[in-house]
Parts: sequence; C-alpha cells; structure tokens
Amino acid sequence: MLSKEEKERYSRQVLVSGWNQEKLKQASVIVVGLGGLGSASALYLAAAGIGRLHICDGDRVERSDLNRQVLYSESSLGLPKVEEASRRIAGLNPSVDVIGRNAYVDSQNAPEIIAGCQIIVDGLDSLDPRFILNQESVRRGIPYVYGAVHGWQGYAGFFHPPQTACLACLMRPDVFRPDRVPVWGVTPAAIGLIQVGEVVKWALGLTPSLFGRLLIYDGSSLSFEIISVGKDPACPVCSQS
Amino acid sequence: MVIYLKAGGELRSRLQPDVDHYTRRVEAETGKTLSDILIGIGVSPAFVAFAFKDGQLKRLDYLPSDGDIITLQPPVSGG
Repeated sequence: MLSKEEKERYSRQVLVSGWNQEKLKQASVIVVGLGGLGSASALYLAAAGIGRLHICDGDRVERSDLNRQVLYSESSLGLPKVEEASRRIAGLNPSVDVIGRNAYVDSQNAPEIIAGCQIIVDGLDSLDPRFILNQESVRRGIPYVYGAVHGWQGYAGFFHPPQTACLACLMRPDVFRPDRVPVWGVTPAAIGLIQVGEVVKWALGLTPSLFGRLLIYDGSSLSFEIISVGKDPACPVCSQS
Repeated sequence: MVIYLKAGGELRSRLQPDVDHYTRRVEAETGKTLSDILIGIGVSPAFVAFAFKDGQLKRLDYLPSDGDIITLQPPVSGG
C-alpha cells in the first residue's frame, strides 16, 4: 500500500501507460558495483520507487571516480562507496529500503549476497565477477541485467536463463582484459539508465526490450544496434542447468 | 571467397580497415572458421568478445560464406 507521500512522489510516473507503482514497491533488486554504471542505476531505481534495493561494492571513493560516479562528491573521498551510496539514496527517496553490503563479489560470497534478490543489475568494472553473477543468475533462474562500458562504447543485455541465453553464451571468459579502461560519464550513465528501464519493465510485468538480446551503443557515432543472442548448446554455464 | 569484417570500438585499429573506417575486405579459404580467418590476418581472437551477422550472434567457430559481412566486437569490461 502506498503512503500519502509515496502517492505524491510518484504522481507523475503513475500516469505512464502500463505503470503499476505497487509492483515496483514489491520488487527486490540488487545493484552489484557502484561505479559509473551502478551510480546511475542505483539512483534511478531508487527514484522510480523500487521497494528494496540491495547495493554491493567493496571500494572506497577516489577523486578519479568523480567524473562519472554521480552518487559521490568531494566530501565522499576515502569513504566506503556503499555507505555514501546508502546515504545519498536515502536522501533521494526515504521510502526505499536500502540494504548495503561493503564487499567485492566473489564466488564464495555471491550466493549469500544475491539471496533474496529477484533480479541482478550489473554495475561491475571487470569481467570475472560478471561471470560469477551470471552463474548465480543461471543457478537461481533470476534475470541478470548486463551492462559494460569502454570509452564511448557500451553494451547492455537482459539475460534470464533458461528462457534466454546467458552471459557465457555471448562471451568467452578468455578474452583480452585491458589494464585500465577509459571511461567518461555519459557512457556508463547511458548504459546504466538503459539497464534501469529494462528492470522497471520486468518489475511491471512487461517484456524487457533486451530480453535475450544485446544492445551495442557507440556514443562516438551515436549508433545503437541490437542483436539476438541465441543460446549456446555448448555453453559451460547454462547448458548444464 | 571474400568476406567483409567490420570492427566496433577499440578493435578498429587492430583490424586495419581498408574499405572504409570500419571495414576490412578479406580473402579467405572456404571452410575456415572465423577464428582461423582472424588469426590469418593477424588479429588474435582474444581481442574479439563476440561477432554478429545480420543481427544474429556468431561464434568464432562460425564458417563464413562468400560475401558475408561480419561485425566484430571487442571485450568491454568497464563500469
């Protein structure tokens, strides 16, 4: 049941066709990684009124984060991202139940971190933990909303095994990993907000536009391309499940 | 056979396009996989996260046909 304050807060978005604020309030979403992607997705999920928002990151805020990680400010420097993000989200929308976890996700803690969450939002900055989240998504049969950026380029996808392919169907784990990824604010913001839109569609009971598909965004030419990601019958992760 | 490889993002400089800013024309033996063809032109498959043709994902064991236009995408891992 929405409070009087919530009804007022969401009074403009409930006018959107197909909207159901109660469904968003019932949703339990985890954003793993609170960098450029996670800043955008956590803030907008909270603003939209996702009922329970789990956030997870083991990092502390550095000045070099501030070109894109809009959850933080100069006063955040040196502080744990989860604490600062929780504070910022609570200030934006106190009706969201924020559950913070100050940890890097790994294969040991992932099952516990993901427990109780209905959907995983990828805000990570490296490949290995993405494959861990993907495995949890496959194991639990919950959606994994992929996002990644490099310079002007970004990818976003909605994987919900076994109905769709999984991340490991798309990408091999043995690909090249750059030491330092170039990134500026607009690319993770664009991809992070596309992820949010897909989560909200899913929470509303609509079919996400990227269901089993991948968006390839190139900000340098402002091009968007969507491809179908078929299941790999030999996928080492989802073909076994 | 002749195929056309297009590259997204950071892969462009590795592919050395010769048709336009994105595209390289490649003559390849029929029956070679995409991975074999990449190695043959000096592009390590490790720099290719995935490939697609006509909006469909193609894996590196895909056997291209004459005239195929295949887009290669680099690993993108930042956040």
